Amino acid sequence: MNVQVAGEVDRLPGLVDDLHASWSALELPMDLLYAFDLALEEIFVNLATHGRGPRLPLQVGIRLEKRDDCVLLEICDDGEPFDPLAAPPPDLDAPLEERPIGGLGVHLVRAQFPDIDYRRVGGQNVLTLRRPLA
Amino acid sequence: METTREPHDRAVVLAVAGRLDFGHAKDFEATLTVCIGDAAAGGLGLILDLGGVDYVSSAGLRSLMVGAKTAKAQSVGFHVCCLAQDVAEVFRISGLDQIIQPLADRAAAEAHLQP
Repeated sequence: MNVQVAGEVDRLPGLVDDLHASWSALELPMDLLYAFDLALEEIFVNLATHGRGPRLPLQVGIRLEKRDDCVLLEICDDGEPFDPLAAPPPDLDAPLEERPIGGLGVHLVRAQFPDIDYRRVGGQNVLTLRRPLA
Repeated sequence: METTREPHDRAVVLAVAGRLDFGHAKDFEATLTVCIGDAAAGGLGLILDLGGVDYVSSAGLRSLMVGAKTAKAQSVGFHVCCLAQDVAEVFRISGLDQIIQPLADRAAAEAHLQP
């Protein structure tokens, strides 16, 4: 998977299909797919709904790569500099009535990916997520 | 995503299968709201069987949280059961398991219903 798409939420189902097809083609372990599914959806939806930049929709690049020791997902966009990892974690101990509805996506992704980094490279936000291969 | 209502004498039972993702969360929430309303009108509980669900994102979790809030406001017992392992993990990471205690199976959910 190595695609450039407009950052619009109705592109998501096609991207999910693409991820799943690539996953099978690369013969990657099925027990890791959930985490990558989650990363793709949460990050892409955030970009499509909250992304800011001089030109909207943002252009989003998504690349899945199998390496010797890991699976890597890279998501880049041409929006304003934004580090999703800098957001404060949601308050998970608040009672039901006081919980904000939202703010969970990045938290879920961070929990699934101890190895995740954000960089600003050549006018692009680049988020790289890795999971080791056994 | 597919939802199926099943007959039960003390609950509205909603079985869900597929993906509770961004694209399906609103439909799911709407279905859930109708079921909660019906349960409230009939003095019943709600059993939500997620056994067929293989993926839940934050959008799906939000729908479930809205459902739990709606059920509480209408005094409807809200019982979620049969989570797949990956889904249970997301429940735990999000802290949603502190608000909605996931139950192992239908029998455990039925044991929580008012007699």
